[in-house]
Amino acid sequence: MRPILLSGHERALTQIKFNPDGDLLFSTAKDQQICVWFSHNGERLGTYKGHQGAIWTVDVDPTSTFIASGSADNTIRLWEIKTGRCLKAWDFPTAVKRVEFSEDGRQLLGVTEKRMGHLGTIVVLDVVPDVDAEQSDERALTIVCDESKATVAGWSYMDKYIIAGHEDGSVSQYDAKTGEQLDNVPVHELNMQVTDLQWSPDRTYFITASKDKTARLIAARDLELLKTYPSDTPLNSACITPKKDYVILGGGQAAMDVTTTAARQGKFEARFYHKIFEDEIGRVRGHFGPLNTVAADPTGKGYASGGEDGYVRIHHFDKGYFDFKYEVERERENRL
Amino acid sequence: MASRNMDWADDDDGEEVAVELPPPQTLQNKDGTKTTITYRYNENGQKVKTTRRIRLVTHREVVNPRVAERKTWGKFGLSEKDGNGPQMDTTSVGENIIFRLSTNWRKDTKDESKDVNANAMKEKLKDKTVKCRICNGEHFTARCPYKDTMAPVGAEGAADPAAGMGDELSAAGGPGAAAAGKKGSYVPPALRGDRAAAGAGDRMGGSKYGERDDLATLRVTNVSEMAEEAELRDMFERFGRVTRVFLAKDRDTGLAKGFAFISFADRNDAVKACNKMDGYGFKHLILRVEFAKKAA
Repeated sequence: MRPILLSGHERALTQIKFNPDGDLLFSTAKDQQICVWFSHNGERLGTYKGHQGAIWTVDVDPTSTFIASGSADNTIRLWEIKTGRCLKAWDFPTAVKRVEFSEDGRQLLGVTEKRMGHLGTIVVLDVVPDVDAEQSDERALTIVCDESKATVAGWSYMDKYIIAGHEDGSVSQYDAKTGEQLDNVPVHELNMQVTDLQWSPDRTYFITASKDKTARLIAARDLELLKTYPSDTPLNSACITPKKDYVILGGGQAAMDVTTTAARQGKFEARFYHKIFEDEIGRVRGHFGPLNTVAADPTGKGYASGGEDGYVRIHHFDKGYFDFKYEVERERENRL
Repeated sequence: MASRNMDWADDDDGEEVAVELPPPQTLQNKDGTKTTITYRYNENGQKVKTTRRIRLVTHREVVNPRVAERKTWGKFGLSEKDGNGPQMDTTSVGENIIFRLSTNWRKDTKDESKDVNANAMKEKLKDKTVKCRICNGEHFTARCPYKDTMAPVGAEGAADPAAGMGDELSAAGGPGAAAAGKKGSYVPPALRGDRAAAGAGDRMGGSKYGERDDLATLRVTNVSEMAEEAELRDMFERFGRVTRVFLAKDRDTGLAKGFAFISFADRNDAVKACNKMDGYGFKHLILRVEFAKKAA
């Protein structure tokens, strides 16, 4: 497996995202550009310029027409993928830490930071899925997180719920229409921040990564804890691989301690766990700093990771990855 | 520019960066490859010339029409002026990662890091058992509780009388050596195979080396890192039929380690080759060719 190294960013990566067809990869970093890359060969298609601060998050709509990005300059921006044109900027009182398009692409949620007397909120914006249309300034919904601020959030299946991960390690379920909080479950250790939340392909369950060194698989319907993946380092990101039943976790020593840590100790590796058996089945080395974000190619052919070291590494899996099976899986196949 | 007046050895402060770089060149080679020559400055302000030989191979892939359409999109933003294909400054290929999924990957990686020889030895000795020569118990003779009071069990009757050194070695060499009628003398593994052609000796791999005609094997040293087995074979085949070429390579980098063994079918050819090729210039290095010594 030969990774492709993308060095389009000058600072630490914050999020990477594949589009639904898996051919484009979007990356955001603490510098002020969003990059888009062809995932098959690592060619850069372009950059999106306009943000005035670190960019924390990016998401692609289901048709690969738009991307939305959230930044420390207190805006969410909507861009046309093809041309790099900024279509709309929504202003907020604080930085935006996470954006995600709903399953149908007609709504966009944003998670805003708690700061300067403002509570953390989750806002929902209506998006008109047309490049030339005028986008509305209105917030369709605002959920205020008065207990513990939300750090990550996403839309469940059929856009029924909004699921949020909080700074105190809990996960909440909100009604996506009314914004009413339906449930709140402390899945991770108390006050260990939920750092990432990524969905299964059908959005019925999701994986959360946390500073408490575990990643957990949770059902969206009732927030039932399905699986736990323990590791030996604080985790920054986790994703579920399509096609094969694995999960990928990324993490490492806290970014501020990186310069005093040898790469070996730092545990800057992507870890592969079996989704069902919860065993660690492999690691991929390569980054010089903690992995801030990992993303699985929706076609299942590869994955990418973005690190504190400013590099994105795209990996296309070898045959061995697809052939790997547990003994029990093999036995079952033979019986059928 | 300032650089013209400066001595080449002077330490410049990177102000030279403003000097025009020669334009990149692309040459078409006869064998269908292209050579591109580009220039850039490194972080010390030194000019770096990069010469790349590129072979273009068309690789056909069927993709979704949406994906195909996106591949035709024009570039924008910072990549607006980029040409087709991945750009050197943003995209590079990392070194190969061996990624094998396994339920006990932790153990696997540990084994890899261990000495290869240690593993090979372990492998060889896997099915050997320790046996006392005095009482046939499962311990070394030196540890035998009866060693001061009893003499070894009847030499002829014992399972492995030939062993003089380690009992674990005797299990392999014993029967072969015993057949030759040598009692109590240690037989080095390299010789065992010759004696007992069909004996148990080949379990140790000793016969494998014994079968090879060491008399017609040349040891070639001071071989360039870039050498390939095929090149060596071509060079030595001029003198006669080459039965085997072994070029030691580094496991990680794949570069040659600097020595090779060439076996000839006929010893006379080997003598000829040894005389002719000793001191031969190959890839900027002078080869040293001599007859391989038997492994001690």
